[in-house]
Amino acid sequence: MNQVVVHPERCVGCMQCMLACATAHSRNGTLFGATLERPQPKPRIHVGAGRFNEGFPNRCRHCQPAPCQSACLAGAINRIASTGTVMINLDRCINCASCAMACPYGVIRFHEDPFGPPNRPIAVKCDNCSNRVVKGLIPACVEVCKAGALTWEAVDDAMRRKNREVARAMTGEADCPNVPAGVALLKFIKRAELELNER
Amino acid sequence: MKHVIIGNGIAGVSAAEVIRELDATAAITMIGDETFPPYSRPMISYVLEGSQSHAKLPIRSADFYNELGIEPILGQRAAGIEVESCQVVLANGATVPYDRLLIATGADPRPIKADGLGLKNIFYMRTQAHAAAQVAALDNARKAVVLGGGLVGFKAAYGLLKRGLAVTMLITSGYPLAMQVDLVAGQMILAEMVRHGLTVEVGVTVQGFAGSKRVEAVVTDTGRLLDCDLVIIGKGVLPCRDFIPKDRVEVDLGVVVDEYLQTSAANIYAAGDVAELHDLARDCRWVNALWPEAANQGRVAGYNMAGIRLAYPGSLSRNVMRVFDLDVLTVGNTDPRDEDGFVTVSTGGQANRFYRRLVIKEDRLVGAVLIGDIEQGGVLRALIENRTPLRLPAERLLRPGFNFGQLL
Ligand SMILES: Cc1cc2nc3c(=O)[nH]c(=O)nc-3n(C[C@H](O)[C@H](O)[C@H](O)COP(=O)(O)OP(=O)(O)OC[C@H]3O[C@@H](n4cnc5c(N)ncnc54)[C@H](O)[C@@H]3O)c2cc1C
Ligand code: SF4
Repeated sequence: MNQVVVHPERCVGCMQCMLACATAHSRNGTLFGATLERPQPKPRIHVGAGRFNEGFPNRCRHCQPAPCQSACLAGAINRIASTGTVMINLDRCINCASCAMACPYGVIRFHEDPFGPPNRPIAVKCDNCSNRVVKGLIPACVEVCKAGALTWEAVDDAMRRKNREVARAMTGEADCPNVPAGVALLKFIKRAELELNER
Repeated sequence: MKHVIIGNGIAGVSAAEVIRELDATAAITMIGDETFPPYSRPMISYVLEGSQSHAKLPIRSADFYNELGIEPILGQRAAGIEVESCQVVLANGATVPYDRLLIATGADPRPIKADGLGLKNIFYMRTQAHAAAQVAALDNARKAVVLGGGLVGFKAAYGLLKRGLAVTMLITSGYPLAMQVDLVAGQMILAEMVRHGLTVEVGVTVQGFAGSKRVEAVVTDTGRLLDCDLVIIGKGVLPCRDFIPKDRVEVDLGVVVDEYLQTSAANIYAAGDVAELHDLARDCRWVNALWPEAANQGRVAGYNMAGIRLAYPGSLSRNVMRVFDLDVLTVGNTDPRDEDGFVTVSTGGQANRFYRRLVIKEDRLVGAVLIGDIEQGGVLRALIENRTPLRLPAERLLRPGFNFGQLL
């Protein structure tokens, strides 16, 4: 079972994933068409600024158990057993934002959605691109990310590699974390600039 | 193993589901007062305001008990517990023996004492039946009075305003939701409600209701008459624990439980609105009568009843409300009035229609109020709940771009 794995240390903050995500969740399906659509399709992955202004891609982790699911006042959140994806039922959601309180990552947004009920905001979050995956495609954010910050892989492999990277970072081995040289430099500069400003 | 659950709200339902997940053959009996399929209690306020239909209330199938192999005893209340002989006594005198018992009876509206309570169109607001009756009464109603400015009073007033009624709210504190928010946020909420037509009267005591068949006015203690054709009473709730023998099971405001949600009596557990347990932000015992608490406590009680010891770290007050164009999120201890050792930081306010207030004790966040941009509220909630020492200056958490990534 593949999942999207986020490698924040590789993110360059280009926000291509946000555009790809919004496009993938539009009725039109192309970037240009999506910009003209009403209601406006919006991304479900959010690149925010980290502590040192570095890019930080944030999306639903499809937690198990999912705190939003037990907090949902309308029974609108459930998990698809076969894929592990946590889904919000567009028809049942009452836009109460109880899930925003429950989500420890702050990844749920509230607005009208091209596929949602007309003129009624609802809770919107990552659905693991379920509609693409059934067609044999990979999630749009992964497809577009050229920095390797988002990957689509079996959770066990990904987790193992991730743990190795973190472990190496802790022991301070020279070759880690495994980030391309250019990215590391970019992050270093951003961090230095910020620290200078805050002095 | 025979499990008996008293109460078929979300706490009882969640416990039953976990017990069945863990044990396919255990006998489960549920005793419940309400005969309607398991439903979303908070959603009744959406039914009142008209944004959701009554038909959408159920959150489990109509065949819930059958599907899970639960023996339902519905339509009557448990009248007592015989702790010595391990059985529940029903209102009709019948007894139900248990090996493990869960008290998940929730809460009832706090009753008021007043003359004329029997008049038509005077409602409490707790059950789907209340909601259905309220909606049926809307047709001929123009002017409503809401007693109480707590969560339920607020939701009643909001719903009636949305239905286009003229609403007067009678409250004791200067602003609604005084238990949930601080003065600044309370006044912002009040202003937004008033902007949409709410009338608020502070410090009025109701003596009774006047009318021939239907309520026609609220009578105050000074003899003043407030004309109205509909009244909703929202003066808080009381845990349903009158049937519990207090000499055998420790009861305070709620039924007192430890971190395994066990009461002071062997093999008896409690969860949800009826339970009183450690509050993470206040650092003392508290009844947090909230849906997510009831659902999670129900699950954890279910684990413990099924023999898997699982601790519940503690409860936490939290609320999200949409007040017309203001989104309000509050969590933890938002207004430590006279206590020492708290530091608060805030930004925004009435003029901005945006507000953030954080309450900090030592190096930990213990409370937050957000008005506007509430999406990151869950991150703050997690910081409070996990008692995470803050690595960032609190001011950084107030900034608009604050997100989870900054905590790493
Ligand atoms: C209008 C309204 C709005 C709300 N909005 C929110 C919100 O936005 N967010 C939020 O978190 N929470 C909200 N709540 C609170 C939430 O509904 C409760 O916290 C939750 O329903 C508690 O679940 P429970 O299972 O503990 O109790 P309950 O839902 O009260 O269920 C207990 C059941 O047990 C039955 N019972 C009681 N005594 C007995 C007995 N002796 N024998 C047999 N059966 C008995 C009762 O009739 C009831 O059916 C709201 C509540 C109301 C009324
Ligand atoms: S906003 Fe929708 S999905 Fe989120 S808790 Fe409320 S009903 Fe559930």
